[in-house]
Amino acid sequence: MENRRRTFLKVLGGAAAAGVASQPLFRAFADPPAASDEFFVLIHASGGWDVTLSLDPRNERRGIIEPGSTDTIDTAPIRRWRNAPLDADSSTFEIYRPAGSSLRLGPAIGNLGDMPERLTIFNGLAMNTVSHADGTFFAATGRHLAGGKPIAASIDTMLANEFGRESLLPTVSVGYPSTYVGNELDARVSPLRVNSVDTLSKMLNRGNVNTTAVDRQAVTAMLTEEARDLAARSWYRDEIEGFGLQLAALPRMLSPDVQQIFNAAALAAAQPSFFPSPGLRFQNRAGVNCAFAVEAMKRNLVRCVSFASASHDTHAANYRSQPLIQQELFDTVAALVRALDAAPHPTLTGQRLSDHTHILLVSDFCRTPQINLTLGRDHYPNGSALVISPRFVGNTAFGRADDDQLLPVSAGMFADGDRPVAPPDVLATFVAAFGVNPRRYLRDGDVIRSLLRA
Amino acid sequence: MKTTLALALIFTLGCNSTPAAPTPAARADAGLSRPTEVVPTPVTAIPGHEVLAQDHAPKEPPRLMPAETLIRSYLALFGGLSPQALQVRLRGTTGDNLFDTWGDYLSALGVPDYAVDIPRAPQTNALMLAAFERIGVALCERAVQADLRGAVAVNDRVLFRFELPTPTRALTDEEFAARFDLLHRRILAYPAALAPDGRIARFRTLYRGAVERHADAGARAFNGPEAGWASVCEGLVRHPEFHLY
Amino acid sequence: MRWIHAMSAAALLLGASAVARDAHASPTREQYRLFRALSIDLQGRIPLPDEIAAFEQPGFDLDAWIDQRLQGPAYPERLRRVYLDALRLEVGSMFNFVSNPLVLRRARLLDPDGNPAYVYFRRGQRRDRVESDADFCLSPDETGVTITSNGQVSGTARPIDRTVWEQRTVAVRPWWLYRDYRSASPSQRINAGDGSAMVLSPVATLMVDADNTTPTTTVRVCREEAQTGARGAMFLSGRTAALPRAETYPGGRVTAPPADSAYARAHATDTVSCTSGTGVSLSDDCGCGVGLERCMPGNSLGNDPAAFNLPDNVPLGADQALDTRAQTQGDWSRFWWAQEAVHFLDDLFARDRDVRGLLNDRGTMVNGATAQFYRGFAGSTCCGNGTQFEQLEPTALFDPARVPADLTPHDLATWRRVDDRGPQASGLLTMPIFLAKYGTRRARAHIVYNAFLCRQFVAENIALTPSTEPNLMVRSGCAACHATLEPLSAYFSRVTESGWTFLPAERFPTLNPACATRNGNSPNGGCTSFYDPAFGSATQGMLRGAYGSTAHADEGPAGLARAVVDAPEFAACVAQNVSESFLGRSLTEEDRPLQESLVTALRTNGYRMRPLVRALVRADAYRNANNLASGAWREGATP
Repeated sequence: MENRRRTFLKVLGGAAAAGVASQPLFRAFADPPAASDEFFVLIHASGGWDVTLSLDPRNERRGIIEPGSTDTIDTAPIRRWRNAPLDADSSTFEIYRPAGSSLRLGPAIGNLGDMPERLTIFNGLAMNTVSHADGTFFAATGRHLAGGKPIAASIDTMLANEFGRESLLPTVSVGYPSTYVGNELDARVSPLRVNSVDTLSKMLNRGNVNTTAVDRQAVTAMLTEEARDLAARSWYRDEIEGFGLQLAALPRMLSPDVQQIFNAAALAAAQPSFFPSPGLRFQNRAGVNCAFAVEAMKRNLVRCVSFASASHDTHAANYRSQPLIQQELFDTVAALVRALDAAPHPTLTGQRLSDHTHILLVSDFCRTPQINLTLGRDHYPNGSALVISPRFVGNTAFGRADDDQLLPVSAGMFADGDRPVAPPDVLATFVAAFGVNPRRYLRDGDVIRSLLRA
Repeated sequence: MKTTLALALIFTLGCNSTPAAPTPAARADAGLSRPTEVVPTPVTAIPGHEVLAQDHAPKEPPRLMPAETLIRSYLALFGGLSPQALQVRLRGTTGDNLFDTWGDYLSALGVPDYAVDIPRAPQTNALMLAAFERIGVALCERAVQADLRGAVAVNDRVLFRFELPTPTRALTDEEFAARFDLLHRRILAYPAALAPDGRIARFRTLYRGAVERHADAGARAFNGPEAGWASVCEGLVRHPEFHLY
Repeated sequence: MRWIHAMSAAALLLGASAVARDAHASPTREQYRLFRALSIDLQGRIPLPDEIAAFEQPGFDLDAWIDQRLQGPAYPERLRRVYLDALRLEVGSMFNFVSNPLVLRRARLLDPDGNPAYVYFRRGQRRDRVESDADFCLSPDETGVTITSNGQVSGTARPIDRTVWEQRTVAVRPWWLYRDYRSASPSQRINAGDGSAMVLSPVATLMVDADNTTPTTTVRVCREEAQTGARGAMFLSGRTAALPRAETYPGGRVTAPPADSAYARAHATDTVSCTSGTGVSLSDDCGCGVGLERCMPGNSLGNDPAAFNLPDNVPLGADQALDTRAQTQGDWSRFWWAQEAVHFLDDLFARDRDVRGLLNDRGTMVNGATAQFYRGFAGSTCCGNGTQFEQLEPTALFDPARVPADLTPHDLATWRRVDDRGPQASGLLTMPIFLAKYGTRRARAHIVYNAFLCRQFVAENIALTPSTEPNLMVRSGCAACHATLEPLSAYFSRVTESGWTFLPAERFPTLNPACATRNGNSPNGGCTSFYDPAFGSATQGMLRGAYGSTAHADEGPAGLARAVVDAPEFAACVAQNVSESFLGRSLTEEDRPLQESLVTALRTNGYRMRPLVRALVRADAYRNANNLASGAWREGATP
């Protein structure tokens, strides 16, 4: 809930009322609507991933670090796993070094390991939390929770507000920690939060036996006028204006091409690469969401697709599946990149969708360098993030965690001093890549210019 | 303090626009050099301000009706059936594709899913509006079929508890307004006469448009009045005032 | 400035409450709006025509109407929603509840007549034959079929010898088919469910025999599982060491038969409880009880087989389920754990009990399903390495002896209050749904801190530096949160993580010399399960999680409940939670007088919620608030 309470007293008549009526409301419509050719996919690897198996690989016992090994991990399905000696009874893995790249990656990186030139990795992210809720929203908003509530807009909302105000679906959020908080936000960009995208087609079905689409559109048009009039009579307008805008968007929502992108069978037919056989064990929903993203972006229906992956929260014996959970996610992201490569941009003739689509993966935090009693790993206040974007310098890892304890260490000199990189820096850099002033949304965070292409 | 300052601003502006007449005491002291003391004057004493409407109310934004309450309201509006019984009725047997299952709509209606920590939706979104339409159409069209197509006594009807003239005669404005008021009170819970100006006319236009479009409808489709009242019902069940409170 | 104050006072005097209504005047639009809002909040739906007609009558007493609604059925549901939104007390399949001592899976075989037949059995069931000990009761040599430990089947079934069939299996009329399963000759077989969660409804495949046609009247179950004793003698097979690894073992089994544990050998003459998982693993006398009531049925050999039809969605309550489908035996428990919390909250609010009972009430509500769980299922996860500490059966958070004996699993619609679950019980904090939802000590403490004190652990710009300090209360960077969190977490030291097994102090002293570190090395595996080497010493081990406060560890969850309800923030947090839910927004500094008035209403009325809610819906913030812009006023709108 946003804090927007106002108490006031008004007297009708004359200039007094006019004076009060002209008090600024707390939303800005002064900005011209932004159009954009850019698209965004924001992914939250929920539960806290073990970065030592992928983005920040560790294969030595050092300090408190106990690397993933054949004792603790089900290595059979991990395609890039190559045994390296750990002790007499168990093996760890060899670091994967893609050809022609300086990146060091773990075996769970999956097919993303084939495209190092597109990867911009942040390691040693100072998450400063081991609370799922706090880490989740910190990664997505750049602010820790306050009183248990998010206090800033999430990255998908920021981007939708900048570039998606004219989109039919500014943001479709599937379990992503999307927040709509702040006075700068356009009512149209409130995230469309859904549990799953492929089960929504029924919502968009309409019978035409008794009445017709024309009848329903007449009702919708009338209600749009009602909403507009009610908003004009209201002190707080956002909710009703938003209602009216959503009503106005309804005819487009009900069009056949939109129904297709919310239909499981249609998505599978259009994007079979996201639906391998045998099916994914953990991340099949990520495949659905990515298929949705590609199809929706091809139709220019959506600006941001954000979703949460299957949980990486593996405290106990389920840690054995941690690398597979990651591999399936990274494979799916790699498939997304390839699908975007193959898809034409909907408005820029001759260009690929991948030239204008930007992907950000984050997680709550990472997992402990130690293995616990139940052979799993607990929460740890370090983290990593991954960007795949033509606006970013690829083949790059920025920031680091220390060698003995996997804790964030200084990534260089920031405006507030020498310190590790933190989620606000990632978010600030990400929005700055598109010319957005981060201070519009983010209290903290520096833009790391060296990561941005000229 | 905020309230006081707001008053100060308001009354300052108000006094500038309508200066108060000098009091007798002020006139008597007019020859003195010291500034005349400003004596408070009640606003109601200012000519033209005898009856003064004032709003002391705290301002609250409208909130979204909780999804559970919305479903219960649907149940209450359309016959007080159990959810599963209403689902059977809404799905119907004629293959007219009006409804699926409640479970298909819960996510879009904003029902929280505690098991996977999905909170309740705090505000509407485009998909929720689509769900409102899907459900609203089903509810209203089934109500029309039950109430207006069958030979059901007015008092036994679920929603449309009024008589209709024969299909060949159009409703007068007064006849429409009286029937619309019944629905308005039933669904939005207050008389149509208290609604913002223009609402009755707007719904009347909606009604007449549907009547005209369905003037020569086939046997399966709704006839003019049926389509008209279905549209009016949908307009109320999907209305911002229904979903926000 | 005096005139400003004078005018302010005058203006305020001129204003009339939006809800104050002349006895003969028709309601205004704002009064209708308020009435509708009250109906939504207190009746859970928009007002009905007759209610609106009554409201329009001259002399309508809105306050009396509110008081009536506060006694109505929708009122507790409204407040329950406040707390369930905060606590989200449901768990999905991510919380795996497959306890082998509990689950009866079934194998499809050929009976002596060559007809397909199901035989139900438990994984790990102790049996006196080496061919089947801790395995299926009929060996591969007897059935032609090999069943692996993960439920894979190979081989070709052949008719089982009749003598073996009769010796090793028995026919039972089980609880899931017979309402009177406890009688000597059960006869009240149930019919298919009606789609309601209130009627026991086994999945269709549990209702027909293996020929997929004949309605099942009895189930064939391994003889050991059919035993009914509450206790069993220690079973000693005589195998003191594991058999050498082989492709097959006696009888053609593919898993090695277990060897006798050191504990079993040392306690050869003891008896064990058949309601604990450890008991089942130590005695071949332990079965599933009368009518198999200590076990859950499953329709396959799968890990978590389907068992009952249950709703997926119950936003209006389990008695108004929106749907129903076949769900697993684990879903059954998870569903009813959540319903226990629902009914506990409803009962607390409907009877206007002290709201501090959310945390410290030793009572709860039980129905047939939860009664069965507490009587026969809850102990199945106990006790693992606890045998090293002589813990063979659970010290229950809900003493099974206090569960109403007459509630059967068929009594799903009957919810009954149990006033005292036992000395360890404490409101929501010791319910399975809470302990499953919040699996770790810290998660449990965190949600309590957040939901009941309205506070959050947030560390903003801190620098975490490498450190070997295990004490997070002092470790740089961590201390900002953990200095508070660890002592709170310590209250849950005696409740196992991701479980509900209580660790009694007499068996698990907070400081335990038996688990001291030895020459700088960790103590044995049993110790490290329960004692944290990082905080142990050469003289004693430290109970896991207790290092934040050994006193808190010994107080248990009830101690946390006391600490929280005694905190000054508790009442303010109750007021905040309820008012934010009703107002649909966060409270701000400007709401402080409202919040304080609600706190007063709560405290001066014995922490009962009705006075608070009554005060809230009569407060200006709720009652007089409107959303009319000044433009609307000029157009003639009047509140």
